[in-house]
Amino acid sequence: MNIKMESRNFTIPEKEYMFPGHVACPGCGGALAMRLVLKALGEKTIVVIPACCWTIIDGPFPMHSLHVPVYHTAFETAAVAASGIKAALEIQGKKDITVLAWAGDGGTLDIGIQSLSGVAERNDDIIYACYDNEAYMNTGIQRSSATPKGAWTTTTPVGNPKGEPKKNISEIMISHRIPYVATATLAYPDDLINKFRKAQQIKGTKFIHIFAPCPTGWKMAPELMITICRLAVLTNIFPLYECENGVKYTINIVPEKPIPVREYLKLQGRFSHLQEKDIEQIQKTVDFEFNLLLKKAQLIV
Amino acid sequence: MKWLEKYKVDLPNLNKESDYPEWAISMTSTLLNRTGSWRTFRPVYENKTPPCSYRCPVHEKIPIYCDYLKRGMIKEAYFTIIENNPFPAITGRVCYHPCELECNRKDYDETLSIHNIERYIGDWGLKQVSVKELRKQSAEKSKGSQQKLKIAIIGSGPAGMTAAFYLACEGHTVTVYERQAKLGGLLRYGIPAYRLPKKILDNEINRLKLLGVNFQTGVSLGKDITLSMLKEKFDYVIIAYGAHKNRALGVPGDDAIGVLSGLEFLAQVNSGRKPKLGKRVLIIGGGNTAIDAARVALRLKRKPVILYRRSRNEMPANPQEVSDCEKEGIKIEFLVAPVKVVTNKKGKVVGLEVVKMKLGKPDASGRRAPVPIPNSNYIINCDTIITAIGEQVDLSIIPDELEKTSWGIAAGEDGQTNLDRVYAIGDCVSGPKTVTEAIAMGRKAAMNIMNKNDVQVFSPYIVKISDLNLSYFSHQPQTKAKELSLSARKGSFKEIHLGFSENESIKEAERCFSCGVCNKCDNCYVFCPDLAVIRDNYEYEIDYDFCKGCGVCAYECPRKAITMIEDSQIIEDNSKE
Amino acid sequence: MKKVVTGNHAVSYGVKLARAQVIAAYPITPQTQVVELLSEFCASGKLNAKFIKVESEHSAMAACIAASASGARAFTATSAHGLALMHEMLHWAVGARTPVVMANINRAMGPGWSVWTDQNDSLAQRDVGWIQIYCESNQEVLDTTIQAFKIAERVLLPVMLILDAFVLSHTSEPVDIPDQEQVDEFLPPYNLKTKLDVNNPRAYGGLTNPDHYFELRYKIQKAHTEALAVIKEIDEEYKKHFGRQYGLVEPYRCDDAKVILVTSGTITSTARLVIDEMRDEGRKVGLLKYRVFRPTPREILRDILYRAQKVCVIDRNISFGHGGIFAQEIKSVLYGLPASPPVYSFIIGLGGRDVTPKDIREIIEYTYKEETPAEPVIYRGVRL
Repeated sequence: MNIKMESRNFTIPEKEYMFPGHVACPGCGGALAMRLVLKALGEKTIVVIPACCWTIIDGPFPMHSLHVPVYHTAFETAAVAASGIKAALEIQGKKDITVLAWAGDGGTLDIGIQSLSGVAERNDDIIYACYDNEAYMNTGIQRSSATPKGAWTTTTPVGNPKGEPKKNISEIMISHRIPYVATATLAYPDDLINKFRKAQQIKGTKFIHIFAPCPTGWKMAPELMITICRLAVLTNIFPLYECENGVKYTINIVPEKPIPVREYLKLQGRFSHLQEKDIEQIQKTVDFEFNLLLKKAQLIV
Repeated sequence: MKWLEKYKVDLPNLNKESDYPEWAISMTSTLLNRTGSWRTFRPVYENKTPPCSYRCPVHEKIPIYCDYLKRGMIKEAYFTIIENNPFPAITGRVCYHPCELECNRKDYDETLSIHNIERYIGDWGLKQVSVKELRKQSAEKSKGSQQKLKIAIIGSGPAGMTAAFYLACEGHTVTVYERQAKLGGLLRYGIPAYRLPKKILDNEINRLKLLGVNFQTGVSLGKDITLSMLKEKFDYVIIAYGAHKNRALGVPGDDAIGVLSGLEFLAQVNSGRKPKLGKRVLIIGGGNTAIDAARVALRLKRKPVILYRRSRNEMPANPQEVSDCEKEGIKIEFLVAPVKVVTNKKGKVVGLEVVKMKLGKPDASGRRAPVPIPNSNYIINCDTIITAIGEQVDLSIIPDELEKTSWGIAAGEDGQTNLDRVYAIGDCVSGPKTVTEAIAMGRKAAMNIMNKNDVQVFSPYIVKISDLNLSYFSHQPQTKAKELSLSARKGSFKEIHLGFSENESIKEAERCFSCGVCNKCDNCYVFCPDLAVIRDNYEYEIDYDFCKGCGVCAYECPRKAITMIEDSQIIEDNSKE
Repeated sequence: MKKVVTGNHAVSYGVKLARAQVIAAYPITPQTQVVELLSEFCASGKLNAKFIKVESEHSAMAACIAASASGARAFTATSAHGLALMHEMLHWAVGARTPVVMANINRAMGPGWSVWTDQNDSLAQRDVGWIQIYCESNQEVLDTTIQAFKIAERVLLPVMLILDAFVLSHTSEPVDIPDQEQVDEFLPPYNLKTKLDVNNPRAYGGLTNPDHYFELRYKIQKAHTEALAVIKEIDEEYKKHFGRQYGLVEPYRCDDAKVILVTSGTITSTARLVIDEMRDEGRKVGLLKYRVFRPTPREILRDILYRAQKVCVIDRNISFGHGGIFAQEIKSVLYGLPASPPVYSFIIGLGGRDVTPKDIREIIEYTYKEETPAEPVIYRGVRL
C-alpha cells in the first residue's frame, strides 16, 4: 500500500508568490487567479499590469503584494510593454524569465486590443493573460465588450441592458495563429496551472483567457465565486479549451449533460431582470456557440 | 505559521528626499494591510457529525477510518474503530449496519458499503495488530497511572466481551464468568456460522485471553456464584448475561413434541449438535431469529416455511437478511397467525392451524396491528414448529437486591444499577437488541468504571446531503462484495458474505463523502483569494489578520467542515487586530 | 570619418554609436529614414539591438519605457501625429524616470495633412517633463543623439532631440561620424540602479496616494533643475572627446548687440547669415540660438538677453489663443528683471513655408525701428 498523505481534490504547487493584505474585494476571482498563475509560473516571472483592478489590488506605494516584479503600465499597453521587457531581457542575455502581461477584459478586448494584436502578429515571446470579469469593475462596473448580452452594468442599466453579445477574444487571438491560446477558470485550478505551465514552455505569444468572477460587479454572494466558475463551464457559457497554432483545438471539458444556463444566471443579480424569453435566447446562443466549438475541435462533423 | 509570525513588516520611513526611490517603486509588502478588519463573518473549522456516525450505536468515526484506509494507513484506521468498537471483524459481519441506511450517499447514488469496509479493517487488525500494540495504544490514550481494579463480568456475550476488552487493555484484572461451556454468548450460540464464522469469534476471544482476561466457563449466576460473593471479591461487577428466554407461542399445544424454541434450536446447531427436525419445518415469527432459524434449517436440508402474522413491511428482521433468505429459496407466508398446534395421539406435532390476518390500525409499536379474518382458518401440515416470536430476559435469575424493570435489570445510561459497584449492560438491561448496541453499553460501563469519558459524536449538528457541495463527487456505484453462490450454500455453514479485498475496500472507502469531517481535501486552501488559509504539515488554520470573510472556503468545502460565524459574536482579545 | 548624410541618417548613426539595445518604432513621414537605416544596422548585425516593429507610436513609446525600466538602452523616433499619439506615454516615461531617447522630426499637425516642418508637435509636449533639445545641423543632430543618452541616463529623464522636417531630416550635409571606440569611451553602458529584476521583486509605478505623489513629482522637477548643469558638463566633456560642443544656448555676435534675435532649429542657420550681413553693415545685432528648451536655461538666457535693448523672437509654432511659444518662454525668463528689454514676438513659416533671409532681416529691422511692437504677436508672411 502506498501512503498518500492527502485527500486533495487538486494538486497545486505549494509555494506562494503573493502576500495577503492585497486590497481585492472579498471573493475576488482576479486575486485568486493571480495567486494560482504565479504558482504555475514561479519566481522567474515579471508581471506587467495595465490599468485594471490589479492596479489597485497590488497595494498602494510603498506596498506590493507579489514576490515577483510588477511593472505597472498604461491601460492599452500591457502586451507591448511586456514585449519591451522581454526584448530588454533578451538583449541582456536573460533568457529564462517569463514575462506575463496581466490585463482585465477592458484592457484586453477594448483599449488594449491594438497592442495585443501587434504583439501576437509579431509572435513576441510573452504570455498574455486576460482575467475577464466582464466589465470595467475598477471604475465602477461599466460595460465592456466582454460584458455578456443581457447583463446589467452601470452603463447598461436595467431597462436597457447590454444588447450585444460578448466579444470572442479567444477566437480573435486564435485567428492570429499564435502558438497557444487557452481558456481557463478558477474552479479548475489544476487545468489553469497546467495551461500556464504549458504556455511557459512555448516560444512566441501565448494568450490565456481566464474567467474570473467579480462578486461585487455581478451582484452575487462572494462565497459563490468558485461555484459560478464551475457553472460557467458546465453550462458551456465559458468552455475550457485550447488551440495550438490557430488550428488544433482541444476542448478540456465537454459536459455530458450541460447544466441549463438558468442555473448560472439566477445566482447573479446582474441578470435578475431577465425574462423567460431572454433566458431561452441565451440558452440558444450558448448551445450554438458550443456546437460551433465542437465542430472546430472536430468532435462533430 | 501565520503570516505575521513568519514575516516582520514595517512601514518604511519616508520623511526626507533621500528616503524616496526615484519613482513609485515599492519598498514593502501588503502584509501591512490587516485586511481581516474588513470581515463581518469568519470561517471556523468545525467538524460536524456524519449521519452514519450518529446512527451507529457506538458512533464509529466512519469518515475518519475511511480516510485512513484510502491513504493506505490501515493501522490508523483500525485503531480509529477500536476506540469505539473493539470487534470490527465481528460487527463488520453481524451488525445490521443502520449507518448505511443513513449514509448521505444513498441519495446521490448508492449508500457506502460501510460494513464491508469495517470488516476488512477488522480482519486486518485481528491478524496484524498485536496485543502489545493494543496495550500501547490504550496507554497513550489514558493519561497517568490509574489504580488497577478487579472486575467481574457475568456473561461473555458482546456486551461483556467489550467491557472486558477496554478494561483489560488498561491493565485492570478482569474475570469473565460464562454459564455455557464455550465463550461468546449470543455471538456463538445465537448467530449461525454462515454469518459469523466461529474462527473469527475464537480469534477475538483468544485475543482477550492474551490481554489477560480470565475466563471461567460453566459458571451460572445464582447457582455457582452470587452477586454478594462477587461484590466481596471484586471492585466492580458487571452483569451482562443477555436475553435468552424464548417467548412461548401462547396457543394450545405449544408444548407438544416437535415444537422447538428458535434460540434453543440455533444454540444446538451452533454448538455442533443436531436437533431432531421433521421433514416439514414451520418457523413462526418475523424477526432475525426466525430468519436465522429458517436458514439453518435449510442448511440441514429441510424445506422450511416462515409464517408471519403481519406483512413484509412490518417485519422486524433486517431486510437484507430477509431478501437473502428468500434468495436461498425459503418461502415466507405473510398475514397468517398460529391458532392451535395439531398433534397426533403421541402428542407429536402433525400440523398447525392458522388463521389469515389483515392489517388494522397502528398499534403501540407504530406498526399496523394484525387482525384475524373470521372463518379463514386452515391447517398446514408439518413435523416441526420452531418458534421465534421474540426473546426475553430471564427475570427469575436476577438477584433480588437489583432493581428491575418489567423487561429486565434497571440500569442507567452508563450501566450503573441501584447497587454501588454493580453495573448491568446488554440485552439483560435493554431486552433483545443488536450486537452493536450491546457493545455500546459494554464500552460505556467500562469507561464509567475507569472514570473516563465515553466516545462522542463530533457535534450536535448532523450533516444532511443538502449541506454538501456535491460538485466534488462523481457518481460511483457501490462496490459489491463477493458472495457464496446459492448452490454452494446448500447443506453448508460456510460464510456467505465474503467481504472486500484490499483494493475493493479502498475503492469503496474513496466513495465516502466524509460528511462534516475535514479530510484535508485542500479546497479551502486552494480557493482562498486572500492567502488566509495557512496549511502547515497537513493542518489548516485561518489567518484572521487577513481573512476578509468572503466565505469561499466554507462554500467550497465539500463536507461542511467549515462554519461561517458572525464576527461580532466572537469574544476574544482583538487588541492585536 | 566624414560622411555626407541626411539629418535622419545622422540620428541613425548616433543611435548605432550609442549602442541602443531596444528600438521600437512606427513609420511616419518624415521620420522613416531614421528607422530604415536602423533596421539595416540591426539586420546586418552592425547594431546588436532588438528592434520591435510596433503597430503604433503609442506602443513604441510603451515598449521603450518598459525596456528602459528593465535595463536596456532604448530609442525611438517619430514625428507630429506619432508624437501626439504617444502623449500619454511621454508622461509615463517621465513618471517612470526612464532615460529613453527619442528623435522627433518637427512636422506640422493636421488637418489638413502636412508633412512639412513646424514646431507645434514637440512644443505641444512642453509640459510632459521630457528634456527637449532643438538641433540646427546634421552634425549637431548626431552629436546630440550621442549626448542625449548620457544626459538621460545621468538624470533619469527622457530626452527628445528635435530636428526640422526635410530642411534637416532629408537634407544631406557632411557629418563627422566618430569612431565607435571613441563613443564607447564617452558613453559607458547603460546601468540602471533599480531595474525590473526577478531577484528584487518590487512593484514599479503602482497606485500612489496623495501621501506620496507630490514628493515623487517634486523629485522630477529637481532632476530637471540638476539637468542643466549635467547637460553643460556633458557638452564640455563631449568637446574633450570629439572637439565639438553646443552649449545650452548659443549666443552669436551678441556682445554689444542692441537687438538680439532668438531662434531655434534650422532658422538659426539662415539667421546667422543675416546677422553677419547686418554686422558687416555696422548694425549692432546678435543672435541667440535656443537649443536646450527644457529644462529652461534661465540664468544664461538672462545673462545674454539682459544686455540687449530689444529682443525679437522667431516662432515657427503657435500656441493658439496666445502666441509664439518661444517668445512666451523668453518673456517669462526675463520677467522681474529691472528694465528688462521688450520682447518682439514673430510667428512665421508654419506648415513648412520657407523662412528667407529677407524675412529675418525685416524682423530685425522692425524690432530696431519700432519703439514697441504694434501687436503682441506679429505674423510674418501670412497672406490675409
